Amino acid sequence: MKSVISILSSKLRSGEITSAQLTEQYIKEIEKHNPTLNAYVHLTFDEARANAAAADKLIKEGKATALTGIPFTLKDNIATDGLPTTCCSKILQGLKPYYDATVWSKLKAQGAVLLGKTNMDEFAMGSTSESSYFGAPLNPVDTTKVTGGSSGGVAAAVCANIAAYGLGSDTGGSIRQPASFCGIVGFKPTYGAVSRYGLIAYGSSLDQIGPMTQSVTDAAIVYDAIRGEDKADGTSVPTPDGKTVLNGDVKGLKIGIAEEYFDGVPSDIKSAIDGMVAAYERAGAQVVKVSIPALKLALPVYYIIACAEASSNLGRYDGIRYGFRATGYTSVDDMITKTRTEGFGKEVKKRIMLGTYVLSSGYFDAYYKKACLIRKAVESQMAEAFEKCDVLFAPTAPNTAFPLGYSGGNAVQTYLSDVCTVPVNIAGLPAISIPCGTDKGGMPIGVQIIGKKFDDSRVLDVAYFAEISGLSETADFKGGVRV
Amino acid sequence: MKYRLVSGLETHVELATATKIFCGCTTAFGGSPNTHCCPVCTGQPGALPVLNKKVVEYAIRAGLATHCTINTTTHLDRKNYCYPDLPKAYQISQFDKPLCEHGYVELESGKRIGITRIHIEEDAGKLVHESGFTYVDYNRGGVPLIEIVSEPDISSPEEAKEYVEKLQLIMRYIGVSDCKMQEGSMRCDVNISVMPEGATEFGTRTEIKNMNSISYIEKAMAYEYERQIEVIEGGGKIVQATLRYDEHTGETSVMRTKEDAQDYRYFPEPDILTVVIPESKVEEIKNSLPELPTDKLHRYIDELKINPATAKLLYKYKRVCDFAERAFALGAGVKNTVNLIVGTLYSKLETEEDKEKFVLPVSADEMAALVKLVDDGKINITLAQKTLSAMAEEGKPVSAYIKPEDIAGMDDGELESICRQAVEANAGAVADFKAGKEKAIFALYGFVKKATQGKADIKKADEIIKKLILG
Amino acid sequence: MSVTQKEIKTLARLSRLEFSDGEIEKFAPEFEEIIEFANKINEQVEGDTGSIREVVSRTVKWEDLREDEVKESLPNEKITSNVQAEGGYFPVRRVVK
Repeated sequence: MKSVISILSSKLRSGEITSAQLTEQYIKEIEKHNPTLNAYVHLTFDEARANAAAADKLIKEGKATALTGIPFTLKDNIATDGLPTTCCSKILQGLKPYYDATVWSKLKAQGAVLLGKTNMDEFAMGSTSESSYFGAPLNPVDTTKVTGGSSGGVAAAVCANIAAYGLGSDTGGSIRQPASFCGIVGFKPTYGAVSRYGLIAYGSSLDQIGPMTQSVTDAAIVYDAIRGEDKADGTSVPTPDGKTVLNGDVKGLKIGIAEEYFDGVPSDIKSAIDGMVAAYERAGAQVVKVSIPALKLALPVYYIIACAEASSNLGRYDGIRYGFRATGYTSVDDMITKTRTEGFGKEVKKRIMLGTYVLSSGYFDAYYKKACLIRKAVESQMAEAFEKCDVLFAPTAPNTAFPLGYSGGNAVQTYLSDVCTVPVNIAGLPAISIPCGTDKGGMPIGVQIIGKKFDDSRVLDVAYFAEISGLSETADFKGGVRV
Repeated sequence: MKYRLVSGLETHVELATATKIFCGCTTAFGGSPNTHCCPVCTGQPGALPVLNKKVVEYAIRAGLATHCTINTTTHLDRKNYCYPDLPKAYQISQFDKPLCEHGYVELESGKRIGITRIHIEEDAGKLVHESGFTYVDYNRGGVPLIEIVSEPDISSPEEAKEYVEKLQLIMRYIGVSDCKMQEGSMRCDVNISVMPEGATEFGTRTEIKNMNSISYIEKAMAYEYERQIEVIEGGGKIVQATLRYDEHTGETSVMRTKEDAQDYRYFPEPDILTVVIPESKVEEIKNSLPELPTDKLHRYIDELKINPATAKLLYKYKRVCDFAERAFALGAGVKNTVNLIVGTLYSKLETEEDKEKFVLPVSADEMAALVKLVDDGKINITLAQKTLSAMAEEGKPVSAYIKPEDIAGMDDGELESICRQAVEANAGAVADFKAGKEKAIFALYGFVKKATQGKADIKKADEIIKKLILG
Repeated sequence: MSVTQKEIKTLARLSRLEFSDGEIEKFAPEFEEIIEFANKINEQVEGDTGSIREVVSRTVKWEDLREDEVKESLPNEKITSNVQAEGGYFPVRRVVK
């Protein structure tokens, strides 16, 4: 792994290249690869050029930070003032928000260059990005495979070197799983560590923005740039001052292994992770067996809570203030129903219906309320596990990238692919997915390193050991802006 | 058969905070459409609510003033329903853990109307229906409300009226709302059922929505009471329903029945964390509460010996009371002060609102100075009224109207000589008085007043005149 | 627990979605399967589950609530920038053939 951001940043600061030039390089590569990969759904090149000019000015004035002048992408569910933000849904067709998400304000202030908005599952509901209104992005490692989801467009763009990095969002694994499918790094911070203001909500108590990058070093740089308490997000929390320090020292580190995470995981994925853990052991880490029985329930709990919140969050798409509006209706009421019926895709409708069901009178106690209680149990069992270990190692997904169009048999089968990622969201923990070899077919495998709440820097540091000791390599795409 | 009326009210009160409940937009009434708006109060995708501390504080004030207990750990919930004036398709409200519970409002009879709960929530925007279009304005969206839910303790339209007036008064006293029903800053939903006298079980209730005038509440209740009895007597059954009241016909009609009732799917608002209110804060708010209207009324009558009718004219307006009490504190006598306020100043304040605002260019100091002249017999009440009236018009101090030489008082000799002239000039009246017509003496008072330009102390003049006539 | 077509229609009404009878027929078994999956949580936890309040555990301190200070609102052109506004309003024609 190499720190693309550090390399580009030093070139920019030394004057070897200007941000304007670098931006044009990326634009050229996007124009070349995007028609195939479908990673970007809205290109914002005018904005990028303006950002680059501002960045070059900052650099000249000696005010550059690590991210100044570096081109990147945002998932299409992060609000950008005056620029399309559609959650890859027909219902948000044409929406240009009139305000910036906090993360975008922060990056813009540092001179970041926004190339465009990237593809995703409609409203972040899915694990393949195929439910996008704009069609699926393709996995740069093998274009017959999905990128994973829901932040599949960011994963494809970063993997294919047509963005130096990107911001995704993770509600049940939407950063980590596509990162693992595309062989890059994806970091989901502790719930609240990064402001959600401007992130179009799916499951509000689970959603979290985080970096998707070519290296752990890059993830730490981006994380440092976007984290911290935000007065506009009452659920955000203060994070420690100063930069995240990475030294990769794992001597005495206690790695927890919970059997429950490995249930039904194919042997090649399991052995890849075993191999990684063994390398840590050789460097002085210790393995501790832990048990988290409630993990078995995490998946249904996740679907109940996420869908309940989604059914409420997505109620506002009524065609009145923005986005798509149906024609051919008999009343305002009818317009709203028709707009929603025509504007939402199948998966989104299904989840809205499930959410409505679990919240409706008569079912609330049996589903939503009970799910909240089990959520608490998952949280406390994970906290107990962390009394015995510093981090947990687990597969990011029980599988590598699926072929395009693979439905897995039925709806529930598809949901099962989130089994390894959702516990972290339920408990609000930080977790990173880093590449961990490939499967028999050469597709990237991801290992997940999970930490306790607010232990984000620890998680990054543990992952950094894999980066510096050559245990983890990002997928090597032979195109794009190679640094 | 005789029927008892059973009614409970749900009263929405807009809080007089500067900003909306979840964003920094102004709560000012009116404004061009969609100009008091931001991403939060228009439900832009991705925007998040941030709770206004003052809203919680005001709701606690309202709770304490109605003798509620305060839940110091409280939470907001989402009430999901889709309507064009609700930009998020859910209203952030409180469901199972309201901020305040178990209070009461006391009526003049001493009867207590129980307060079940008071919770905080956001107001919706406004719809204008015109020429085939519905136009949406979100200026009012997100304005903070408290909903005050009463127990079904109200048993007549008159009680409902008094209850609403009392609530209005309390909210104004504690400064949390102006409670203007005509501007919609106070609105009521009226739940009503009837039961045969002596029965123990409540009848099926109906709910009349969105009443914005006290007299309509009375009329609607009276109408609905009769209607329900008629239905029952006719062998019918009351259908649980939401009604609207037509102020032109004076009748209620069905908006929706129980069958198509909403399922609001309440659940805890994930964007706002549970609020923990320190006990010390509740204590602080409690200590900052002013004397409440009922307590003030009782004190005016019992301690200050103001006659009940006058006391009632005063206590309804907190600013008036504050003014009067400042004058009392400066040594002005209670009786003359309140008579001058009710007699003279109120004539300058025609509407309820004028009295409520009580903006007059007369300071409490000047008021006290004037009243003390009357108290000390230096001027009579008529001159005081005339002077006060001019002060209220022109905003000048007492000294601009009454010179020191005027109030040096009249020496007794001078007064006696004027009284003598009065007796001599009014022989007829004197004769009448002697014959037992007591009122005849007023003619003599008039003479004295005129001759002294109102400076004479009529009480003293009365003594002198009577002595002169009766010997 | 099986979900009837009538229930699906009620859910659709609450969700402000429309399904044709044909769609419901296809949707019902799929939905049922998901409910079945959600039911897993009921196999595991027994007895009274207490108050939901116990699970809403994160709290905000009094000092951290927002102060009541006015922030300038956005201009109407911005607020209505995603529609064809009329007189500053969001207009919706009530009937469109």
